Amino acid sequence: MGKFIIRRILQMIPVVLGTTFIIFAMVFALGDPLIGRCGERPCSPAYAAAFRAEYNLDQPLPVQYFLYLGKVLTGDLGTNFYGNSVVSELAARYPTTLKLAVIAIVIEIIVGIGAGVYAGVRKGKLADNMVTITTLILISIPVFVLGSLAQMVFGVWLGWFPVTASEGDWYSLILPGIVLASLNVAYVARLTRTSLVENLRADYVRTAKAKGLSVSRTIGVHTLRNSLVPVVTLIGASFGGLMGGAIVTERIFNVNGIGSFIFRSISTSDGTSVVGAILVLVVVYLLMNLLVDVLYGVLDPRISNE
Amino acid sequence: MRGKTRAIAAAGIVSLALVATACGSGTTASTKTIGALVVRGCTPQNELIPGNTGETCGGNIIDASFSKLVHYNSDTAKPEMDLAESIATTDSTVFTVKLKKGQKFSDGTEIKAKNFVDTWNYTALGTNGQQSSYFFTPIKGFADTQCGDADCKVAPKAEKLSGLAVVDDYTFTITTDSPTSNLVVRLGYSAFAPMPDAFFAAADKKAWAKSSLVSSGPYKVTTQDATAIVLERNTNYAGAYKGVPDKITFKIYNDDAAAYADTLANNLDLLDIIPSANLAGDIWKTDLKDRNGTKATGVIQYMGFSPIDTNWKSVDLKKAISMAVDRAAVIKAVFNGARVPATGWVSPVVDGYKANQCDACTFDVTKAKELYAKSGGYQGGPLTIWYNNDGGHKQWVDAVCNQIKNNLGLECVGSPTPKFKGMLDALKAKELKGLFRLGWQMDYPSIENFLAPIYGKGADSNYSEYDNPAFDKAMTDGAAAKTTEEANKIYQDAEAMLAKDQASIPTWYAQAQFGWSNKITSVKMTPFGTWDFTSIVLK
Repeated sequence: MGKFIIRRILQMIPVVLGTTFIIFAMVFALGDPLIGRCGERPCSPAYAAAFRAEYNLDQPLPVQYFLYLGKVLTGDLGTNFYGNSVVSELAARYPTTLKLAVIAIVIEIIVGIGAGVYAGVRKGKLADNMVTITTLILISIPVFVLGSLAQMVFGVWLGWFPVTASEGDWYSLILPGIVLASLNVAYVARLTRTSLVENLRADYVRTAKAKGLSVSRTIGVHTLRNSLVPVVTLIGASFGGLMGGAIVTERIFNVNGIGSFIFRSISTSDGTSVVGAILVLVVVYLLMNLLVDVLYGVLDPRISNE
Repeated sequence: MRGKTRAIAAAGIVSLALVATACGSGTTASTKTIGALVVRGCTPQNELIPGNTGETCGGNIIDASFSKLVHYNSDTAKPEMDLAESIATTDSTVFTVKLKKGQKFSDGTEIKAKNFVDTWNYTALGTNGQQSSYFFTPIKGFADTQCGDADCKVAPKAEKLSGLAVVDDYTFTITTDSPTSNLVVRLGYSAFAPMPDAFFAAADKKAWAKSSLVSSGPYKVTTQDATAIVLERNTNYAGAYKGVPDKITFKIYNDDAAAYADTLANNLDLLDIIPSANLAGDIWKTDLKDRNGTKATGVIQYMGFSPIDTNWKSVDLKKAISMAVDRAAVIKAVFNGARVPATGWVSPVVDGYKANQCDACTFDVTKAKELYAKSGGYQGGPLTIWYNNDGGHKQWVDAVCNQIKNNLGLECVGSPTPKFKGMLDALKAKELKGLFRLGWQMDYPSIENFLAPIYGKGADSNYSEYDNPAFDKAMTDGAAAKTTEEANKIYQDAEAMLAKDQASIPTWYAQAQFGWSNKITSVKMTPFGTWDFTSIVLK
């Protein structure tokens, strides 16, 4: 297992270098960050020159990239165009995004797997159909509709939840968390159901039943553990995605997380912020994938990582 | 073991949630007692240095926290003496500024003549690369403080503006290159705000502005982070424009709709932008009943004529196109009524404004057709209206094009460039024919600011290359006039020359829509789109 993890971590290095260079080239080769910085008029040459020199924009692209990489190795993601260090910008927002992701994942696990198991063991019955229809509705509604609706009803009209989650405390993040989880809850429920139904037909389940094991033990321990392998993949990937922030949900509820930060940085051509944030995202995503792979072995000993 | 960890994690979440809720209610309770306001804010694009801030997110905070020599009246935009006791001149060239005594920065040091002179020298100097340095153009010696080339490789000839001189602690003189009768009106812009000695002592000015900003106005910035910028009362402030709230929190919103929802729920006290979805059908006026308002701001949008398009030699053709555009209909259909049809080249909010200067700005199809026939029509293919795709202009350009097509029978197409700068570059390279859309946001509330920088020969923003010696002479005469009234009269006559030549097609004036919470009344917005914190009444 240890060897496996080390090998995977070593594999990450070229991936990280490759992705950052692609992003770096795209961000800095295309957009001119001086556009729109001086209102309805072009920036004065003196201001533009000082700005370009400060951010090495007057150097050729490969030089810019190596200067940047050199800083990254010392843990410095650079200073963005607003004079803040990207590390501090990310540090200010990651706790909020992490909280939001945790809320969403907890909801996905509890509601999604719960509903999936509930529907799976009652295959073809009314309850199963109800779960299928509900998840279909959730999948069909775009998240910005669901988000705005939930904000209006539960925030403005009923006043049960804060309208926006600007400060990023747990309570205010519950409503955005539910909205964010809704789509994945539906996927998790459907996948759990299908996987469970398939495994319930397996020989080892019949054996377990024949041995006289209780229904709850047959399903809860023997079947569910095997059925969860694809579900864990889905949840792991979804957590990796959530760590990258949820642009739409974060904007609706004014959550000051990574998603709205990346959105703002892209729209204002703030290259340093975009590259820094994406670099961190890539690493987080790779680590999440590694975690999922390790979990496979724990759930199903037949899948060996050696 | 695993089960236990989960239980602990769950308990952790619950207790954190409880702590968070407790904190939440604590803040709400204290909000009411200390008279704090929550205002919509956005992330500033630069550190909060007045001379280096040109955009509104940072500008709004600087406006609330820095006092200048003069203060613009929040209704009329007329300048009133603020830090200055008097600004006197006999020839509109040498101005003697006397400061009020006992005015202090938020760190307790006194505001002296030296602070103004040092700040202006710093902001003007090319090598400092400050965004607002062009505001100092009229001051003598400005050209020498600029870099010798575009990349600033050649150092400026002088470090300081030769037109500024400290007389004593409370007196300094400003000498301009040529007579500038409206200099006093210009001095209220934030680029002219004084900076404390601590600013000049700081080696890293940006870091200083982030961590220990000291300001000259009624409020000082105490917190700047990702979610909010907090202003608290400057206890050393001795001026006349003391704000009502003790504390102002500019809460950062990434999306207008979220700010709107928070205002509906009375969590946000001042909202200075209404999402377009809520402007449609005046929904916002019902949603925010008795707590909404509009205010004209100093911005004009217009269409310029390409200098390389020979069709524009015909004034009749230019007038015909202007008269074929039903501005009111476009505003209603595209902007949900959130603009005001232009009737001239100057925004109504400034001193010297005269209504109905543009006779060809009234919609009149019969007259337009007549003039169009007389002019012989637009030769050489469809008329192109150029616009930048990064500012939401497509809808109105298409609407205007349709009207020109329907009313004059002239084929018209809207053509976007991806970015604003791309359009300006193409214009300079003489690549664009037809019309192009432009806007102008005033730097200071004077009629002159809508004329000289846009239509003066060789002026920075004269993209149509309008060239009229009589107009240029009027600009010089107006600047040399003895009184503001006399100057305004000259400028109004110059505006009439623009009408005669139809120098551009003015389309509309901007108007700000705003709303507020049920906790306050008597909310006023200034012609600059900022809040007047002196008039607000807490309920």
